[in-house]
Amino acid sequence: MIDGRPDELHQQFEEVWGNPRGWRAATIVNHTRIGLLFLLTGLGFFIFGGLLAMLIRAQLALPDQTFMDADTYNQVFTMHGTVMMFLFAVPMMEGLAVYLIPKMLGARDLVFPRLSALGYWCYLFGGLILAASLFLELAPDAGWFMYTPLSSLPYSPGVNSDFWLLGITFVEISAVTAAVELVVAILRARAPGMTLQRMPLYAWYILTMAMMIVLGFPPLILGSILLELERAAGMAFFDVARGGDPILWQHLFWLFGHPEVYIIFLPAAGLVSTVLPVFARRPIVGYRWVVVAVLTTGFISFALWVHHMFTVGIPHLAQAFFSAASMLVAIPTGVQVFSWLATLWLGRPVYHVPMLWLFGFLVIFVAGGLTGVMLALVPFNWQVHDTQFVVAHLHYVLVGGMFFPLVAAVYYWLPHFSGRMPSARLGRWGFWLVFGGFNLTFLVMHWTGLLGMPRRAYTYAPGLGWDVPNLVSSIGSFIMAIGIATVLVDVLLHFRFGVRAAPNPWHADTLEWATRLPPAAYNFISLPTVDSRYPLWDQPELAKKMARGEQGLATVAHGRRETWGTDAVTGEVREIIHLPGNTWLPFAVALVLSVVCIGLLVKAYAVASFATVVAAILVLRWSWENGAHEESGIGVPVSAGDPPLHWRTHDGPGRWGMGVTLLADGALYAALLFGWFYLWTVAPQWQVPAQSPLDARGLLANALLLSAATLWLRRVLAALRRGSDKGLCGQLAAVAALGLLQSAHLLWLMYTSDLAPKGTAHDAVIAVVLGYALFHCVLAGIAIALQAWRVHYGYVDRAAPYEPIVLGQLWYYNLGVMWSAYVALVLFPSTWGGV
Amino acid sequence: MTWLYHPLQIPLGLIVWGMWFIALYSGLSVGCAIGPPDAAAGPWNWLNIVLGGASLATVALLLGLSALCWRASRRVGKDERAKRFIARVGASVHLVAVLATLFIALPIVGLPPCV
Repeated sequence: MIDGRPDELHQQFEEVWGNPRGWRAATIVNHTRIGLLFLLTGLGFFIFGGLLAMLIRAQLALPDQTFMDADTYNQVFTMHGTVMMFLFAVPMMEGLAVYLIPKMLGARDLVFPRLSALGYWCYLFGGLILAASLFLELAPDAGWFMYTPLSSLPYSPGVNSDFWLLGITFVEISAVTAAVELVVAILRARAPGMTLQRMPLYAWYILTMAMMIVLGFPPLILGSILLELERAAGMAFFDVARGGDPILWQHLFWLFGHPEVYIIFLPAAGLVSTVLPVFARRPIVGYRWVVVAVLTTGFISFALWVHHMFTVGIPHLAQAFFSAASMLVAIPTGVQVFSWLATLWLGRPVYHVPMLWLFGFLVIFVAGGLTGVMLALVPFNWQVHDTQFVVAHLHYVLVGGMFFPLVAAVYYWLPHFSGRMPSARLGRWGFWLVFGGFNLTFLVMHWTGLLGMPRRAYTYAPGLGWDVPNLVSSIGSFIMAIGIATVLVDVLLHFRFGVRAAPNPWHADTLEWATRLPPAAYNFISLPTVDSRYPLWDQPELAKKMARGEQGLATVAHGRRETWGTDAVTGEVREIIHLPGNTWLPFAVALVLSVVCIGLLVKAYAVASFATVVAAILVLRWSWENGAHEESGIGVPVSAGDPPLHWRTHDGPGRWGMGVTLLADGALYAALLFGWFYLWTVAPQWQVPAQSPLDARGLLANALLLSAATLWLRRVLAALRRGSDKGLCGQLAAVAALGLLQSAHLLWLMYTSDLAPKGTAHDAVIAVVLGYALFHCVLAGIAIALQAWRVHYGYVDRAAPYEPIVLGQLWYYNLGVMWSAYVALVLFPSTWGGV
Repeated sequence: MTWLYHPLQIPLGLIVWGMWFIALYSGLSVGCAIGPPDAAAGPWNWLNIVLGGASLATVALLLGLSALCWRASRRVGKDERAKRFIARVGASVHLVAVLATLFIALPIVGLPPCV
């Protein structure tokens, strides 16, 4: 439907979607701005991490250097790894996806814009807290994987490790929120007609990456919480003398850490699969094979983590399983490489600057992959474990596999960011300096490692054969730095001197090139219907029709921000997703959470507790401004023939978002149960009390009480689905009261138990399991009480039944947690020699 | 047989493979904790036989599911491309999971479990 001429339409859209300036810019939630903020902040942290790398290479250039002492060096290399992995690589890849995915899918925004904004601010504040530690000379110094017992209190008594544990956990909120957002947007907010098999390959890659984050990050979040509880509260998890096991940390860390490599690589490979066919001027060869390969890589990457632990004393057969899986993962990666080569072979390639970086990627990443296969072999792995060879390998994989495609992507999408084209000359200089410098640094470093130089040594004596290769590596690293500076200068200059970009300047096939350059906050004034995998190639008039407002949802007079909600498989329109506008809430929540973080760091627990309460109130306010709330622009009904707004349905994006969030939550809980069973099985000095500290009957009664409340809620929701809201307010209030009663009972059980979490790992894990259950039950109780209140205000009823249905999933999840906790804590020990 | 066209078919093969892998590693660890076989007996012992048997059963299940998906992909009409895509990708992923299971389980026939 068209309300007027395109210019008038753009003006109307600008009024609803426009970004405020000045200090109110902190309220912006739309994905284009948030994506750009992620990219710019990631660039800042990249430069910070790069400067730390320069310090490392300056220190190692010559033997017996006194440029840095051992303590400073430990902080510098730990921060280099931490910044590059957590503050650059992952946020950069997610930021680019946040920017690109809605545009590629033909949508106006991601489905939870406030969540995107919260993720960004958590990333910024968490990153700044972590970076500040270096300037306070209190930076983490136990290596970026923080192995216990080195990172435990007796061996790291300062706050250095706390900065890492709290700062990184804070930043990880950002990674997980963006992942939830991306999964749901890809599955539920595609352009009409964009069936699964018509989805751009980049969306498949990002879907896989996001699901990997959802399942892969929680084990590290759990590990960080446990280690911080051990350090700050004296609880026992990794302390052998109290029945813990430091190897548990290694498992939790690498359960996250190895998928992390592919979490970084897969989106970069997605960029390659997007950019390369455009310059080869033909569709990618083997679309379906690539989809299968991406999924396979995503899954198998979770079965490799123990190859980082081959030297800790795991049985040979177990090592062989992980060795085989580590070799196997090269095959789906190889399928993608052959697909790219075949696309070039069968296409009519044209060589612009992005193609140079793709060439660099192919050479370096394949070399890194081959040394990866070498490291998968157990005997070789033992030989080079903890040497510079491993450092060289990981830089080949990560710089080759992520940085080179990223720069290719930056050059490719520069017209999007500036409306101008990049320069070829400086771009080529930048590439060759980086490519040459990189290989000089890291190819030689393999040799240094094979000569036996350990990683993380702050200096070395002359005459060990390491002098020349270290000097060569250091020279190479400075050449690489000059190359990166050249690229940065080129990008900066192009904003002033670049030639104005024509629409779709590379003649690409994907929908992000149908926007203005640079794009408006709302992306498109009308949303396309696609009938092809390559819409801009096969529907040449589509971009113009969209700009003229001749496609779908071309009305904004109602004042709402809207985009299509479509079926996950068929891409058929199901509802209109009603998006929230700009708000201070995400910024405020992140700011208050950073107070919590700092409060915990300086052990000002009263401040941290108070800030936690404030954050909870803000989050509840956030949930209040939803659906039929008067600030949501609900006055004007949808146009005749259009589907309903999502909160008038039973199955909008929030339901999917809750499902994906609970998957992440479940991964954390599963990792906790893994820790419980792991310690029972292999902890060297596992200690079980003679008498169970738990009231088994009380716990059973508690689980039964929760079951009763959940079944009641289920009946209420079933009635609501049938269109009946009779007694809704009272029933929801009663369910909430029952749930909160159960929470109070659980708290009483914990209070009156004989748990000694500072005494044994056994009791510490039980305390965390019960604390986890209690937190979730209280959350569910308060949330459903709030729903009862919303019914009272008329925001929830049979015409707007959505929110209680979304929350129902949390109650079912909690029920699963309580009963599995009962089985694990009460029933299992009696079968395993315990009480 | 509409379940063969459900989008969960796409990752199902690798989900089954993942569950098998968890069972394999935890089964080995628990087996070694409760009754480690004698290392001198080599790879032919109760634990390896259990792990190998479970692996073969998983392979059989995955092969069956792959065949079902493949047949389902051949049954759909020309205008049901989304269904065909799901069934074909599902069949391929199940087959990939078969290969992954066989390759990773291979050391069971060559190594004793608990040393």
